[in-house]
Amino acid sequence: MSLDYVKFSGGFEKFMPKEYRDMVEHGPFGKKISVSQMGSFKEILEEHPMCAGCAMTLFIRLAIIAFPNPEDTITVGTAGCGRLAISQAAIPFVYGNYGDQNGVASGLSRGLRLRFGDKPKDVVVMAGDGGTADIGFQQVLHSWFRKERFTTIMLDNEVYGNTGGQESGMTNRGAVLKMAPLGKKFEKMDMLQMAKVAGCAYVATVVPNNPRRVESVIKKAVLIAREVGSTYIQAYTSCNIEYAIPTDKVMEDAKTVENDRYQFTEYVSDEAKQYLTERYGYKDYLPKAAAPAAAIPTKA
Amino acid sequence: MYLVANIDVEICASKSCKLCTQYCPEANTIQYSETMGTDKGFKYGTAYIAVDRCKGCALCVWVCDTMAKNNAIKMIMIDQLPLAAVTDNIRYEEKTTVAVLSNPMIVIGN
Repeated sequence: MSLDYVKFSGGFEKFMPKEYRDMVEHGPFGKKISVSQMGSFKEILEEHPMCAGCAMTLFIRLAIIAFPNPEDTITVGTAGCGRLAISQAAIPFVYGNYGDQNGVASGLSRGLRLRFGDKPKDVVVMAGDGGTADIGFQQVLHSWFRKERFTTIMLDNEVYGNTGGQESGMTNRGAVLKMAPLGKKFEKMDMLQMAKVAGCAYVATVVPNNPRRVESVIKKAVLIAREVGSTYIQAYTSCNIEYAIPTDKVMEDAKTVENDRYQFTEYVSDEAKQYLTERYGYKDYLPKAAAPAAAIPTKA
Repeated sequence: MYLVANIDVEICASKSCKLCTQYCPEANTIQYSETMGTDKGFKYGTAYIAVDRCKGCALCVWVCDTMAKNNAIKMIMIDQLPLAAVTDNIRYEEKTTVAVLSNPMIVIGN
């Protein structure tokens, strides 16, 4: 949990694999890195077994680059596709039992605050729609009601992709899947509204076809969670296997879905706006200068 | 054999949009080098593929053709590539990378 853990142990440098040496010498730890520099530094995420062309993988890659302090971040996950990649990153990853990721993150976040005081240690939960909205729903919602200070990211592929294509609470009504051949009979859960009702300080939807927006959203969510309260990001990360999307059309699908039902939305509480402005210099939330009053025609 | 992405340096180094580096789902697979384009007399640097990490999804082809409209990336059978970059031969420098190109079939060991 500091820059110390990305150093070579004495005498072992020459025995370390190239990927590890590159990470220590050219990784993003302790530096300001942005998505515009991708391809020119060693990334925290390594090779992983996720499917070719997976949008969830792209989102995870962007999210990890966007972490404000990767050397002071712990990710928490649960069963599902996403953990196959998240666990292959050079930051600590806690793999909870199915559905308990927000309970684990609550304890972890509190423990880190006791141990490290005011020094920011970020906890970020990344779990699928099944882990967040179905099996982990109770713990997710209660962590929000308790205003636990960590970020919850839902990797919403709208299906149980890891187990053969069962419908989830986040699947759209009418969707026909391999293990839901009659089509889903209920509406997609409105987790965004539930997050607002439960008191999250920051709620956003995002699609990975806009890397800069993903970066901006993740940064804000993690920073707000340091002091203000729970933050929630819902990311559309299609499953190209279960929804039969050709891999070279994954971004085309993301764009279509973004225009259709996954438009970018962002809710920032007043307290969070003030915090971002005063603490981190965000200018987006400063009061807009009053527009000059329209000239009132005077009678001659 | 299998398909991997291949970037036309001449086209890429004249545009240098870097979009493909931001859209590849795999980390450190589409790399960027300032010198690999300018060394050959082109205006900018170029993106290139670490072929041992490429899973052949062709997402970068859609990004290059449709979003950037540069048409610089094609999918090619790996054994048809005369020279390519592989992870072991990529060196990181300050804000850029440099790759020593080699026969991918020999390096990967097929």
